[in-house]
Amino acid sequence: MERMTHNVSRRSALKFLGAAGGGLALAGWAHAGWAWAQEPNGGKPLETFTGPGANPHWNSVGPYVTEPQKAPLILLTDRPVQLETPRHYFRTVFTPNEAFYVRWHLGEIPNGVDLAEWKLSVEGNVNKPVAFSLSDLMQKFKPASVAAVNQCSGNSRSRLQPRVPGGQWGNGAMGNAMWTGVRLRELLDAAGVKSGSVQVQFEGLDTGAGPKGMGSNRFLKSLDLTNAALDETIVAYLMNGEPPPMLNGFPVRLVVPGYFSTYWTKCLSWIRVLETPDDNFWVKTAYRIPDTPRGTTTPEDMKAGKVKTIPIGRMPVRSFLISPDGSSKIPAGLGVTLRGIAFSGYGKVVKVEVSDDGGSSWRAAELGKDHGAYSFRGWQAAWTPKTPGRYSIAVRATDEKGNVQPDEPVWNAGGYLWNKIEKQELVAGKAN
Amino acid sequence: MKKRWKTALTLGGVAMALAGGLVFAQMRSGAYGSTNTASIGQVAAPEFAPDAKYDVGPYPSFTPELAEGEGKLEVQSFCATCHSTRYISMQPPLPAATWEAEVNKMVKTYGAPIPEATAKKITAYLQAHYAPENRKE
Repeated sequence: MERMTHNVSRRSALKFLGAAGGGLALAGWAHAGWAWAQEPNGGKPLETFTGPGANPHWNSVGPYVTEPQKAPLILLTDRPVQLETPRHYFRTVFTPNEAFYVRWHLGEIPNGVDLAEWKLSVEGNVNKPVAFSLSDLMQKFKPASVAAVNQCSGNSRSRLQPRVPGGQWGNGAMGNAMWTGVRLRELLDAAGVKSGSVQVQFEGLDTGAGPKGMGSNRFLKSLDLTNAALDETIVAYLMNGEPPPMLNGFPVRLVVPGYFSTYWTKCLSWIRVLETPDDNFWVKTAYRIPDTPRGTTTPEDMKAGKVKTIPIGRMPVRSFLISPDGSSKIPAGLGVTLRGIAFSGYGKVVKVEVSDDGGSSWRAAELGKDHGAYSFRGWQAAWTPKTPGRYSIAVRATDEKGNVQPDEPVWNAGGYLWNKIEKQELVAGKAN
Repeated sequence: MKKRWKTALTLGGVAMALAGGLVFAQMRSGAYGSTNTASIGQVAAPEFAPDAKYDVGPYPSFTPELAEGEGKLEVQSFCATCHSTRYISMQPPLPAATWEAEVNKMVKTYGAPIPEATAKKITAYLQAHYAPENRKE
């Protein structure tokens, strides 16, 4: 209310200034002064929701909140917790733990863990079930490290048209960390996988209020034992050289390089070797994508029951402009540096290209240090807006398998796999 | 030139002060907003004992106000069993058929123990306040 009053009085003051402007014009300098009397259209609170059109912002629109062990992050939901990483944290290729996005499925997520009691069990179709304490994991196995991007399957879901229900993420449901821990295969070997086993199932400490046997009660994910991704999988007790925050899976979380985060079980406590394929809700029904190129389909084909689905797997190639982010105007003729990140779940990013005409013409950006095939790869490109105007900066990446980011959208009912070329408008002003 | 500047400053002074900021040809300054919409309080660092318990304390609640209307109470008591109602307000405006499918999913796929009549009331509430035609906040 106070704010309204203030705005009104400010507006009348501006009107008065307008009247005064006529007189001032005689004084010869008022023209420039009057141009300033228009308040720049900034500093206003963001809308509280977006839609039915696509979310036009880089991040989602929720408020900043502070959760335990976390810097202020963007709130999607508070119970269970879902938090998005603000754009500026991607200026570095390793995402700080306190800024790393958070996504839980079930309401009863751990607040605390007693390491005197806690064990990681390897059980099921094995010769000798074993359970390891955190100190066992730290001392009995040679540590292995991998730099890997963790991205939510629904990252950028708020871009889809028509919109689909689910976590309305902008682009910040992703992060990159150096993960250190024990190789999954060594843990499986310690228990001895029996012949005839088909899958390995992962479960963490989170539970839900729903009835037993339902997806609302337990969150379970499984991968085929023959999946090559398991050879690179780590049970991580370090995230960027520190214990992971509770919200990111303390004391250990699964790291499946190249795969979407749905498989990266947090607070991992049970590894189960299965004789028959897992048919629980989170494998059989949820996190499935159309078995089509890019996993895209239409609402019509979905309704008609024409779409065969498969479990989601590797992450398609993506790239992002992180700065400049459009929050500042750039004087024409001033050279600036376009900076960002790129990654692919299919292998190393080998090329990043930028465009300042919305994707009509492209030139190569300089790639940053190679931290491994599954890490964010930094990129930069010098850019000078020669004349004042609006520039549409676009960025696209290519991975070592030859996958190139397309400029076409993706649509599927889950809101997964978005990897359309990102564009950012930058405004160049006159420099004199 | 000097005299013209002086005249301008005298004339402009009152107007500029009222405008809430000073205006010169080369700059604009002194404008401040009256609200503090973006403030977030800081949180004290936790105190730890050197034992085996690692506890971060409770996760804070940020539960939004839901739209007023018939069915709000049912939404608050049934839906909030498993998740905060921010799961509703976080969604984009969704068509009536999508809300119906969501409520059906909660009952049939997730096993939410909601009586049929109540589920209908919940669906009607969501359709009446969180669809493209009527979504306000």
